[in-house]
Amino acid sequence: MAANAAQQAPTPNWPYGGNSSGESQVHENPEWEKARQALASISKSQNSTKTSPTNHNTQQTGPYQAADSSAMQQQQQYYQQWYQQNQQQYAGYPYPYNYYYPMPPYGGPYPPGQYGVPGGYQTPTTPTGQAPAMPMMEDQSSSYPSQPPPPATPQPPPQSPTSTDQPPPPPPPPIPPPPNAQYPPPPSQNTYSPNGPLPYSPTDSNTMMQGYNSGQIRPGYQGYQTPAYQPPQQQGPGQGLYGGLGRVDAKKPNNSNMNKGGQQLWQRMKQAPGTGAVKFNIQKRPYVMTNQNVPSGDQAPGLASPTATNPSPGSVAATSTTSTGAAQTRPQDWPQAMKEYVQRCFTACESEEDKDRTEKVLKDLLQSRLQDGSAYTIDWTREPLPDLKPKQSRWEAVPQRSQENAIGRGGAIRGRLGARLGNYRNVFSQRSPSSSSSHSSRSSSRSPSPHSRHRDRSRHHRSDSGSQSDSSMSSDPRFPLSRRQQKGGRGRGAERERGRGAAGERGRGRGKANRGRRNMEDLASGIGKKRKGGNAGLDFHDPNREAKKQSRAARFHTKLRTEPLVLNINVFDLPNGTQEGLGWDECPIVGTCQDITKNYLRLTCAPDPATVRPVSVLRKSLIAVKTHWKSNQDYLYACEQMKSIRQDLTVQGVRTDFTVEVYETHARIALEKGDHEEFNQCQTQLKALYKDCSSDNVGEFTAYRLIYYIFTKNSGDLTTELVYLTPELRADPCVAHALELRTAWALGNFHRFFKLYRNAPRMAAYLIDKFVERERNIALRAILKTFRPFVPVEYVQSSLAFLDLDSCLAFLTGLGVTFTPSDPSKIDCKVSSVSLTTS
Amino acid sequence: MAHITLNQYLQQVLEAIDSRDGAFCAEMLSFKHPHVANPRLQLSSPEEKCQQLLEPPYDEMVAAHLRCTFAVSNHDFVEAYKCQTVVVQYPLFADDHCVFRALPIISLCMCLQSKGKGKVGDMLEKAAEQLMSCFRVCASDNRAGIDDSKKWGMLFLINQLFKIYFKINKLHLCKPLIRAIDSSNLKDDYSTAQRVTYKYYVGRKAMFDSDFKQAEEYLSFSFTHCHRSCQRNKRLILIYLLPVKMLLGHMPTHQLLKKYDLMQFADVTKAVSEGNLLLLNEALVKHETFFIRCGIFLILEKLKIITYRNLFKKVYHLLKTHQLPLDAFLVALKMMKVEDVDIDEVQCILANLIYMGHIKGYISHQHQKLVVSKQNPFPPLSSVS
Repeated sequence: MAANAAQQAPTPNWPYGGNSSGESQVHENPEWEKARQALASISKSQNSTKTSPTNHNTQQTGPYQAADSSAMQQQQQYYQQWYQQNQQQYAGYPYPYNYYYPMPPYGGPYPPGQYGVPGGYQTPTTPTGQAPAMPMMEDQSSSYPSQPPPPATPQPPPQSPTSTDQPPPPPPPPIPPPPNAQYPPPPSQNTYSPNGPLPYSPTDSNTMMQGYNSGQIRPGYQGYQTPAYQPPQQQGPGQGLYGGLGRVDAKKPNNSNMNKGGQQLWQRMKQAPGTGAVKFNIQKRPYVMTNQNVPSGDQAPGLASPTATNPSPGSVAATSTTSTGAAQTRPQDWPQAMKEYVQRCFTACESEEDKDRTEKVLKDLLQSRLQDGSAYTIDWTREPLPDLKPKQSRWEAVPQRSQENAIGRGGAIRGRLGARLGNYRNVFSQRSPSSSSSHSSRSSSRSPSPHSRHRDRSRHHRSDSGSQSDSSMSSDPRFPLSRRQQKGGRGRGAERERGRGAAGERGRGRGKANRGRRNMEDLASGIGKKRKGGNAGLDFHDPNREAKKQSRAARFHTKLRTEPLVLNINVFDLPNGTQEGLGWDECPIVGTCQDITKNYLRLTCAPDPATVRPVSVLRKSLIAVKTHWKSNQDYLYACEQMKSIRQDLTVQGVRTDFTVEVYETHARIALEKGDHEEFNQCQTQLKALYKDCSSDNVGEFTAYRLIYYIFTKNSGDLTTELVYLTPELRADPCVAHALELRTAWALGNFHRFFKLYRNAPRMAAYLIDKFVERERNIALRAILKTFRPFVPVEYVQSSLAFLDLDSCLAFLTGLGVTFTPSDPSKIDCKVSSVSLTTS
Repeated sequence: MAHITLNQYLQQVLEAIDSRDGAFCAEMLSFKHPHVANPRLQLSSPEEKCQQLLEPPYDEMVAAHLRCTFAVSNHDFVEAYKCQTVVVQYPLFADDHCVFRALPIISLCMCLQSKGKGKVGDMLEKAAEQLMSCFRVCASDNRAGIDDSKKWGMLFLINQLFKIYFKINKLHLCKPLIRAIDSSNLKDDYSTAQRVTYKYYVGRKAMFDSDFKQAEEYLSFSFTHCHRSCQRNKRLILIYLLPVKMLLGHMPTHQLLKKYDLMQFADVTKAVSEGNLLLLNEALVKHETFFIRCGIFLILEKLKIITYRNLFKKVYHLLKTHQLPLDAFLVALKMMKVEDVDIDEVQCILANLIYMGHIKGYISHQHQKLVVSKQNPFPPLSSVS
């Protein structure tokens, strides 16, 4: 945790101090400078920083002091030196290199230190260095407790145990600032930060820092980390993350044994297996790495791109050399110029999205380059950055450009690529230190394995020419490497792998370190962030990232409207229009049929004027129907004729007084015969017609409507109807009667109700007939319950408006009313009431 | 907020969507929010801008909303209604809780818009159809967890539908909605505001269905839980709660009526408690328009029965006997200027009172007398079912 705290502290420093220190360091690697300059003119001070990194002592001290920005810078320098040394060692002896990285500098001491180291590595072998750092960071930030165990394995620090606390110093005495050493991780971070800061500062230290802090940075880091991680993973045989961690640890130990305890353990664990199994692991991992990286950086999509690039190169190298060698070469093999290029690309990113895009672009580009070997021949410094900013054709355009450049530049590209990569990484972590140290370290580390060495060397040379930053990175590792080299004897392949991984880790570590620092700053938030970044790098978190990416992509896709948005506000007019169009009003027909009578047929198609009677004929028809009705009372005939008349009127869109008359007539006939359906249809039409046409019978049919509502007990409609009753309408005798009836009905005043029933005007009685039975029943219950001991039938007959005694008796007997035995004209209320209620 | 630019507004909407902040998102699409009055957002063609910033379902919604504000500012309520219809139809397709939350407020706006329309009935019915389709989506959302289930939107939609149904007098359409809520396991977990509104409508419906006990229960809940600052709402509730309470024998105090500016009830209350049939008739005629518009005239009319009871109770107290001649009641009614009253109608009225339980006793048709119980012949109204 202390390390974390230290890291955290450094992190803040990073940005600030980082800038100054980073800049100075950066100078060492010309490529870095270029990259930085290209990225941002910020890199003015880089030269100084670069020089500083050369001064191992000062740098180292500085880094450990991490707390201070200057210290940070110094540390970075130290780290760079370390890295450089390590790297050199690595370069010379990949295996030892690896060991060292994991054990002393990176792994053991501080993942952060590793991170810091990675910074140095970053340029050279940023991937390894960063990667380890990243995992560490993640572990620390996310779950320190868990980490401890891994550290045990990493402890491989055996190599770097010394380095663990001292790890950073181990290579360079300065590291000794073991106190710092513990901090070393932080210092390493600092160192990273210096590197990172430098790069950051140059590019946009503030912006970068912010971005990183926010999470954008993280992504960027992740991207870097991923590559770094992947290599580490390769090194760390079995566990991708662990491997990464282990690698990191290894590196960390080298850089600083800080966290080393656990990390070292990790490393050791790894190493132990590593020597024997490591090779296998390495082989597998490299492939895995490549696969992972290539496919989509399973671990971290974002990281994947860089990783992919790394792996691909690794794979290429592997093909040439043994798998182990190949693996080793892969991460380390990458031309510094290329790394710098990558860093540049990422530093140029303003947002996470940009970084994501960049990752994709770079992944493709670097893979292709590495596979065809152009990565080592291209002048990466001249490679145009992917068109992320344009954003238009980022993916496509960028790769093309890069390819072109790569092809043209050929071998030089490697170094440039590495440098660029380093720069990129540096940008995030620390460009200058990593670049300077990495080249040398790599060369040394690689040297252990002849094939790899040559390749590495050649590559390194190229890279060196391109960017020294890598060498600086590697230089730190060198120390660990040397140790590793010792171990390397055991399993060079593993070492190589480790070295590669370390390099990758370094780079990653830097990124991670940066992240870690940030994370440190905000443990909780930092953890989350770290996880994000680390995850991306480590693969663990990759799923999330991919999911995020997908969601993002989905968003973009969804955002794409095939057609410009148009509000279809008028859509709703159309239906109305069509409805109206379908209405008879719209297409009036004038009938030509002269038949007075016509059978009703429901229309199923457009009406034929030949079968439709004009209004003049319909008038005759109506009279004929009325006459026929009066004489014959043939409702079926009348109803059919009336319906046909109504149909003809409707078809012709006739809405006149005559229409009202027709409907009123039909309504009366239907009412008289108790035809509910037709009556209601007519009432509905009349209600609408009365709005347009005046009629003397408005009151009559309004009263009918009121009464009908009583029948249906629809108090809601009744209330509504009351609202629309004008005083004139209320004065209408029919309406007034209906209102009185309603009042009586509402109050249960059956006496008054039936009185009104008897005096119903016009045809209201027909309507009341529909529910008079119901009301009588209710009234009878009240009567039977109220009167004691008996009630005369006559009273019931008069109260309930029975026309004669017989009908009343029939009604009563129908209900099971009991008459008093003594007098059949009297109802035994008590008994009847009981039977009524029970029935 | 009131003067933000279009870009700021869209940005806020975007953030709300991204963060799934349904409440804020709803606000941004609400017509009660101050941004509606912002002239910078009242655009006749905001489509392009919205399309640039927002994703497909949302851009159209927001564009329609903005155009709606534009239409409202021009008092073009028809277009506003159409715009709102566009807004409302979309949440149905966006399977997103946050957006869904926005829906209720949108629909409310739609109702408000449709008010300004010429063909009120048609528009309201179409609005009801829209809401109904929304409601079906909500009610059938069985997949989501209880926390973000669309069922939380049911009650709001039902309230809006109630509002429309009451306006177009289609109370029978309320039944399935009430059943849906009754069978919902969330019915007691909705927000108080929504429950108050819901019970208000259900109480009104129960009142119209002459289920006064139920109506009193719902309306009382609504009144007691209504926010104290919502004086207008409380007054609305009281308009229906008072008649129901009076029917059940609880008379409002003068202070209450004064507080809520419901003095139209003052005379009614006085008349009923005094058994002053004349005053009651006068009061009902005097405020008939108000009562009819509120839809409570028919309910208040039923107070006549209570008034009869109180009047007859006075007669009973005057005569101080258990055998009351029917003529005495006839005199009392005539004193109240009830015309066309004969002894048969007195019997009828008494029969009804006895039948309903307001009077304990019986009529001796032979002796033309009302014989009341010696114990508590006029039981308190509250005890009468």
